[in-house]
Amino acid sequence: MLETKDWIKRYFDEATDAVMIFKDDELVVANQIAQDLQTELNLDPAYLIEVADASVKQKFTPTDNCFSCSIRNSMQEISIPITLASDMPHPLNYFLVYHVIDATDHVFSLTLKNRGTIERLDQLAQQRQLNQYVNRAHEEERKHISEDLHDSIAQGVYSAIMGIRRLAEGELADHDIRHITQVIEGQLTDTLAEVKGMALDIRPSVLDNFGLLPALRVLAKRLEENSGTAILVTGNANTDNLSTDVQSVLYRIAQESINNALKHAKATEIDVLLVAHEHFINLEVMDDGSGFDVPSHQQFNGRSLGLMNMNERVKALNGAFSIRSHPGNGTTVTAKFPVTTS
Amino acid sequence: MTLADHDGQLNYQELVNHIYQTNTFDFVGLALKSDDFSRNIKWYFVAGNQSEQFRKIVLRSGIGIAGLVVRTGKPFWKNQLQCYSFADAMYTPIARVESLTSAAAVPLVDSVTRQVNGVLLAGYRHDEKVSEQTTRRLSQYLRQ
Repeated sequence: MLETKDWIKRYFDEATDAVMIFKDDELVVANQIAQDLQTELNLDPAYLIEVADASVKQKFTPTDNCFSCSIRNSMQEISIPITLASDMPHPLNYFLVYHVIDATDHVFSLTLKNRGTIERLDQLAQQRQLNQYVNRAHEEERKHISEDLHDSIAQGVYSAIMGIRRLAEGELADHDIRHITQVIEGQLTDTLAEVKGMALDIRPSVLDNFGLLPALRVLAKRLEENSGTAILVTGNANTDNLSTDVQSVLYRIAQESINNALKHAKATEIDVLLVAHEHFINLEVMDDGSGFDVPSHQQFNGRSLGLMNMNERVKALNGAFSIRSHPGNGTTVTAKFPVTTS
Repeated sequence: MTLADHDGQLNYQELVNHIYQTNTFDFVGLALKSDDFSRNIKWYFVAGNQSEQFRKIVLRSGIGIAGLVVRTGKPFWKNQLQCYSFADAMYTPIARVESLTSAAAVPLVDSVTRQVNGVLLAGYRHDEKVSEQTTRRLSQYLRQ
């Protein structure tokens, strides 16, 4: 038993979080790192108690309807974000965790957890969410394609087959035959248009054969027809020397940005600008829509990773990506890639 | 454009105007399939429009209210349209550009080929409801 006690003591001393135990607001025990912090940062334990105390009071004041909230009351600990050494060049971010050990004897502990580690864990979690999102998006895409194939293409071909069967049955007057062939032709033409549209949605062959600018023009025309919103593409860029990766990313960013503008911003006009400079190529997508508060959309919001995903894709190819937007003032998305001139 | 076409166009515009004037609809529009190879369906005749954006729309079969009417050849109506956003199946471009909250649409069926070659759509901007009744009323105009 003595041995275990020794282990616990060693664990307590070597823990990476600074732990302090108080009785009646007097510091009783502190582990090694807590002592180091106190001497190095000139930290007064009384200050930490003040901070914790204020937060505890805040929690148990019925300022909102959540006072009897069962979730909140089952939280045994109170975490308070705190910045130490804020007057030094490198402020240290910590979480101060308040935990009551013995309520009758007024014994409680304060633990300082390094936020850097926690942030790193957050990052990892976010990465995992991103992966999950990408997988889900792939699956959604497939579902969408499959539905389109089944609903419109298969349907169109089936109707045409039925028409041909009627023709084959014979015993039809000349004008009936003319009508039926007309109908079949119409069905097949519509189906052809659907197939072409689908092919364009999946991967624009124009991009491979004619370059980025014509591909953007085709995209703009299709989205304009689908939405009624004017989409103008202007540019001088010769994209022959660009790698296919960069071209694809620029195309996808234009696509995603226009889609966003149509979906969320209620824009009436969208401008796409593709301009080549001596050492870089610049894509700008501007809309006159409702705009949004950028910082609040930069993090993963549980539904869509649009902005984050675009950023990641551009950065992976050494590009720069930025979004400027204000509520009520439209949105501008910019992607910039370095170009090596041969 | 032949004289017959011209006559037809005038009639369609008159019909749209007539429906707009004799009903409480905020918007009435008629889309037709073009005769050329593209066979695009576009909004050619409207009344009560708030912009010219409708001219850019090309109807896609199966998408939105008017698209469903084209695909199925049956009347269709829907309320609370503004909750659909771009790329939803029920997103109706004409409803978005004309700020319609509800709309009803009926097919224009060619008497000879029995194919759908157009759509007549009418809608409201201020939360008035549409129902099967609305589509029946619209169908009446096409029967005349």
